[in-house]
Amino acid sequence: MSNELSIRLFATLKDRAGQPRVSITLDEPTAVNVFLEQLAAKYPKLATTLPSSLVAVNRTYAERTTIINPGDEVALFPPVSGG
Amino acid sequence: MNDFPTYFALTESDPDLNEIHAALTQPDVGSVVTFRGSVRGETQRDGLPPKTLHLEYEAYEEMAVERMQQIAEEIWERWPLVKGVAIVQRIGKLDVGEMTTLVSCASGHRDQGGFEAARYGIDRLKEIVPVWKKEVDEARGVWVEGDYRPNSTDNR
Repeated sequence: MSNELSIRLFATLKDRAGQPRVSITLDEPTAVNVFLEQLAAKYPKLATTLPSSLVAVNRTYAERTTIINPGDEVALFPPVSGG
Repeated sequence: MNDFPTYFALTESDPDLNEIHAALTQPDVGSVVTFRGSVRGETQRDGLPPKTLHLEYEAYEEMAVERMQQIAEEIWERWPLVKGVAIVQRIGKLDVGEMTTLVSCASGHRDQGGFEAARYGIDRLKEIVPVWKKEVDEARGVWVEGDYRPNSTDNR
Protein backbone atom coordinates (compact mmCIF):
# COMPACT_ATOMS: atom_id res chain seq x y z
CA MET A 1 0.00 0.00 0.00
CA SER A 2 1.52 3.26 -1.10
CA ASN A 3 0.72 6.70 0.25
CA GLU A 4 -2.94 7.10 -0.58
CA LEU A 5 -4.06 10.65 0.19
CA SER A 6 -7.75 10.99 1.05
CA ILE A 7 -9.16 14.40 0.11
CA ARG A 8 -12.32 15.84 1.64
CA LEU A 9 -14.78 17.66 -0.64
CA PHE A 10 -17.47 20.14 0.35
CA ALA A 11 -20.46 21.92 -1.22
CA THR A 12 -20.29 22.17 -5.04
CA LEU A 13 -17.23 19.94 -5.23
CA LYS A 14 -18.88 17.16 -3.27
CA ASP A 15 -21.98 17.37 -5.47
CA ARG A 16 -19.88 17.44 -8.63
CA ALA A 17 -17.90 14.35 -7.60
CA GLY A 18 -20.98 12.58 -6.25
CA GLN A 19 -18.96 11.56 -3.18
CA PRO A 20 -17.58 13.29 -0.06
CA ARG A 21 -13.99 12.11 -0.55
CA VAL A 22 -11.62 11.32 -3.39
CA SER A 23 -8.10 9.96 -3.21
CA ILE A 24 -4.85 9.96 -5.11
CA THR A 25 -1.46 8.41 -4.57
CA LEU A 26 1.05 10.87 -3.21
CA ASP A 27 4.50 9.37 -2.76
CA GLU A 28 6.49 12.55 -2.39
CA PRO A 29 6.03 16.22 -1.46
CA THR A 30 3.94 17.80 -4.22
CA ALA A 31 2.95 21.39 -4.94
CA VAL A 32 -0.76 22.19 -4.85
CA ASN A 33 -0.91 23.10 -8.56
CA VAL A 34 0.64 19.77 -9.57
CA PHE A 35 -1.63 17.93 -7.15
CA LEU A 36 -4.69 19.60 -8.74
CA GLU A 37 -3.57 18.53 -12.22
CA GLN A 38 -3.18 14.94 -11.05
CA LEU A 39 -6.61 15.07 -9.41
CA ALA A 40 -8.26 16.50 -12.55
CA ALA A 41 -6.78 13.67 -14.61
CA LYS A 42 -8.11 11.03 -12.23
CA TYR A 43 -11.52 12.69 -11.65
CA PRO A 44 -12.63 14.37 -14.91
CA LYS A 45 -15.93 15.41 -13.28
CA LEU A 46 -13.95 17.77 -11.04
CA ALA A 47 -11.67 19.16 -13.76
CA THR A 48 -13.58 22.36 -14.52
CA THR A 49 -14.15 23.16 -10.83
CA LEU A 50 -10.65 22.61 -9.50
CA PRO A 51 -8.97 25.75 -10.93
CA SER A 52 -11.26 28.02 -8.87
CA SER A 53 -11.35 25.83 -5.76
CA LEU A 54 -9.82 26.71 -2.43
CA VAL A 55 -7.37 24.20 -1.01
CA ALA A 56 -6.84 23.64 2.70
CA VAL A 57 -3.79 21.73 3.91
CA ASN A 58 -3.85 20.69 7.57
CA ARG A 59 -6.85 23.01 8.09
CA THR A 60 -5.10 26.18 6.88
CA TYR A 61 -5.48 27.94 3.52
CA ALA A 62 -2.91 26.92 0.90
CA GLU A 63 -1.46 28.74 -2.09
CA ARG A 64 -0.95 27.02 -5.44
CA THR A 65 2.76 26.77 -4.54
CA THR A 66 2.18 25.23 -1.10
CA ILE A 67 3.74 21.78 -0.72
CA ILE A 68 1.52 18.86 0.25
CA ASN A 69 3.30 16.06 2.08
CA PRO A 70 2.16 12.44 2.31
CA GLY A 71 -0.07 12.16 5.38
CA ASP A 72 -1.31 15.76 5.25
CA GLU A 73 -5.01 16.54 5.73
CA VAL A 74 -6.26 18.03 2.46
CA ALA A 75 -9.67 19.50 1.63
CA LEU A 76 -11.12 21.18 -1.47
CA PHE A 77 -14.07 23.57 -1.47
CA PRO A 78 -15.50 26.73 -3.04
CA PRO A 79 -15.17 30.20 -1.45
CA VAL A 80 -17.08 30.08 1.81
CA SER A 81 -20.63 31.38 2.29
CA GLY A 82 -21.49 30.97 5.95
CA GLY A 83 -23.09 33.48 8.27
CA MET B 1 -2.46 34.35 25.09
CA ASN B 2 -5.19 35.50 27.44
CA ASP B 3 -7.65 33.42 29.42
CA PHE B 4 -10.79 35.28 28.40
CA PRO B 5 -13.84 33.05 28.03
CA THR B 6 -14.64 31.85 24.51
CA TYR B 7 -17.56 29.97 23.02
CA PHE B 8 -17.10 28.50 19.52
CA ALA B 9 -19.72 26.15 18.12
CA LEU B 10 -21.17 24.60 14.99
CA THR B 11 -24.55 23.28 15.98
CA GLU B 12 -27.77 21.92 14.54
CA SER B 13 -29.74 23.11 17.55
CA ASP B 14 -30.95 26.63 18.36
CA PRO B 15 -28.27 28.39 20.43
CA ASP B 16 -29.36 29.72 23.83
CA LEU B 17 -28.49 33.43 23.83
CA ASN B 18 -28.74 33.73 27.60
CA GLU B 19 -26.40 30.80 28.09
CA ILE B 20 -23.84 32.26 25.65
CA HIS B 21 -24.01 35.72 27.20
CA ALA B 22 -23.64 34.20 30.67
CA ALA B 23 -20.56 32.30 29.48
CA LEU B 24 -18.91 35.60 28.48
CA THR B 25 -19.96 37.63 31.50
CA GLN B 26 -17.23 37.74 34.14
CA PRO B 27 -17.35 40.19 37.09
CA ASP B 28 -15.39 42.80 35.10
CA VAL B 29 -17.76 42.67 32.10
CA GLY B 30 -20.47 45.29 31.79
CA SER B 31 -21.22 45.08 28.05
CA VAL B 32 -21.93 42.31 25.57
CA VAL B 33 -22.61 43.18 21.92
CA THR B 34 -24.23 40.42 19.84
CA PHE B 35 -24.77 40.18 16.10
CA ARG B 36 -27.46 37.63 15.25
CA GLY B 37 -27.98 36.51 11.65
CA SER B 38 -31.17 34.81 10.47
CA VAL B 39 -32.58 33.20 7.32
CA ARG B 40 -34.03 35.81 4.96
CA GLY B 41 -37.03 34.68 2.93
CA GLU B 42 -36.21 36.71 -0.17
CA THR B 43 -32.98 37.10 -2.10
CA GLN B 44 -32.03 39.40 -4.94
CA ARG B 45 -29.01 37.59 -6.30
CA ASP B 46 -28.97 36.90 -10.04
CA GLY B 47 -29.44 33.29 -10.98
CA LEU B 48 -30.63 32.24 -7.55
CA PRO B 49 -34.15 31.48 -6.41
CA PRO B 50 -36.01 34.73 -5.63
CA LYS B 51 -37.96 33.10 -2.80
CA THR B 52 -35.97 31.03 -0.35
CA LEU B 53 -37.86 28.20 1.32
CA HIS B 54 -35.01 27.16 3.54
CA LEU B 55 -31.22 27.04 3.73
CA GLU B 56 -28.99 24.03 4.14
CA TYR B 57 -25.62 24.65 5.78
CA GLU B 58 -22.60 22.40 5.55
CA ALA B 59 -19.28 22.88 7.36
CA TYR B 60 -15.75 21.55 7.50
CA GLU B 61 -16.12 21.45 11.25
CA GLU B 62 -12.57 20.78 12.43
CA MET B 63 -11.20 23.65 10.37
CA ALA B 64 -14.15 25.94 11.13
CA VAL B 65 -13.56 25.81 14.88
CA GLU B 66 -9.86 26.60 14.38
CA ARG B 67 -10.71 29.61 12.20
CA MET B 68 -13.21 30.83 14.84
CA GLN B 69 -10.39 30.76 17.39
CA GLN B 70 -8.26 32.70 14.90
CA ILE B 71 -10.97 35.38 14.52
CA ALA B 72 -11.08 35.80 18.32
CA GLU B 73 -7.29 36.26 18.34
CA GLU B 74 -7.55 38.87 15.56
CA ILE B 75 -10.23 40.69 17.57
CA TRP B 76 -8.06 40.78 20.70
CA GLU B 77 -5.16 42.22 18.67
CA ARG B 78 -7.35 45.00 17.25
CA TRP B 79 -9.49 45.73 20.33
CA PRO B 80 -7.37 44.97 23.39
CA LEU B 81 -10.21 45.88 25.76
CA VAL B 82 -12.53 43.24 24.31
CA LYS B 83 -12.60 40.19 26.59
CA GLY B 84 -14.84 37.17 25.95
CA VAL B 85 -15.76 36.23 22.36
CA ALA B 86 -18.49 33.86 21.17
CA ILE B 87 -18.90 32.69 17.56
CA VAL B 88 -21.66 30.26 16.60
CA GLN B 89 -22.65 28.91 13.18
CA ARG B 90 -25.79 26.83 12.71
CA ILE B 91 -25.55 23.89 10.32
CA GLY B 92 -28.15 21.62 8.73
CA LYS B 93 -31.58 22.73 7.48
CA LEU B 94 -32.77 26.16 8.61
CA ASP B 95 -36.14 27.71 7.86
CA VAL B 96 -36.91 31.37 7.17
CA GLY B 97 -36.55 33.43 10.35
CA GLU B 98 -34.30 30.98 12.19
CA MET B 99 -30.99 32.09 13.67
CA THR B 100 -28.07 31.18 11.44
CA THR B 101 -25.10 32.73 13.17
CA LEU B 102 -24.11 34.67 16.24
CA VAL B 103 -21.08 36.75 17.19
CA SER B 104 -20.82 38.19 20.73
CA CYS B 105 -18.06 40.37 22.17
CA ALA B 106 -17.81 41.26 25.85
CA SER B 107 -16.00 44.21 27.40
CA GLY B 108 -15.99 46.25 30.59
CA HIS B 109 -17.84 49.18 29.03
CA ARG B 110 -19.83 49.74 25.85
CA ASP B 111 -17.22 52.12 24.36
CA GLN B 112 -14.35 49.62 24.45
CA GLY B 113 -14.70 48.19 20.95
CA GLY B 114 -17.41 45.58 21.39
CA PHE B 115 -19.61 46.96 18.58
CA GLU B 116 -16.73 47.19 16.11
CA ALA B 117 -15.36 43.80 17.16
CA ALA B 118 -18.70 42.05 16.63
CA ARG B 119 -18.93 43.62 13.18
CA TYR B 120 -15.40 42.49 12.39
CA GLY B 121 -16.21 38.99 13.67
CA ILE B 122 -19.19 38.43 11.38
CA ASP B 123 -17.36 39.93 8.38
CA ARG B 124 -14.38 37.68 9.00
CA LEU B 125 -16.56 34.61 9.54
CA LYS B 126 -17.97 35.17 6.05
CA GLU B 127 -14.42 35.28 4.66
CA ILE B 128 -12.50 32.45 6.29
CA VAL B 129 -14.73 30.03 8.23
CA PRO B 130 -15.35 27.00 5.97
CA VAL B 131 -19.15 26.89 5.91
CA TRP B 132 -21.40 26.84 2.83
CA LYS B 133 -25.09 27.45 2.41
CA LYS B 134 -27.46 26.09 -0.20
CA GLU B 135 -30.53 28.21 -0.96
CA VAL B 136 -33.51 25.99 -1.67
CA ASP B 137 -36.81 26.95 -3.33
CA GLU B 138 -39.63 24.81 -4.76
CA ALA B 139 -37.61 23.87 -7.82
CA ARG B 140 -34.02 23.40 -6.76
CA GLY B 141 -31.14 24.10 -4.44
CA VAL B 142 -28.21 26.34 -5.33
CA TRP B 143 -24.92 26.48 -3.44
CA VAL B 144 -23.93 30.05 -2.62
CA GLU B 145 -20.27 30.86 -3.15
CA GLY B 146 -18.58 33.78 -1.41
CA ASP B 147 -16.46 36.47 -3.06
CA TYR B 148 -13.44 36.28 -0.80
CA ARG B 149 -10.50 34.03 -1.67
CA PRO B 150 -8.41 33.44 1.45
CA ASN B 151 -4.68 32.97 0.96
CA SER B 152 -1.82 32.02 3.23
CA THR B 153 -1.75 35.54 4.75
CA ASP B 154 -5.13 34.64 6.27
CA ASN B 155 -3.45 31.93 8.33
CA ARG B 156 -1.86 32.53 11.68
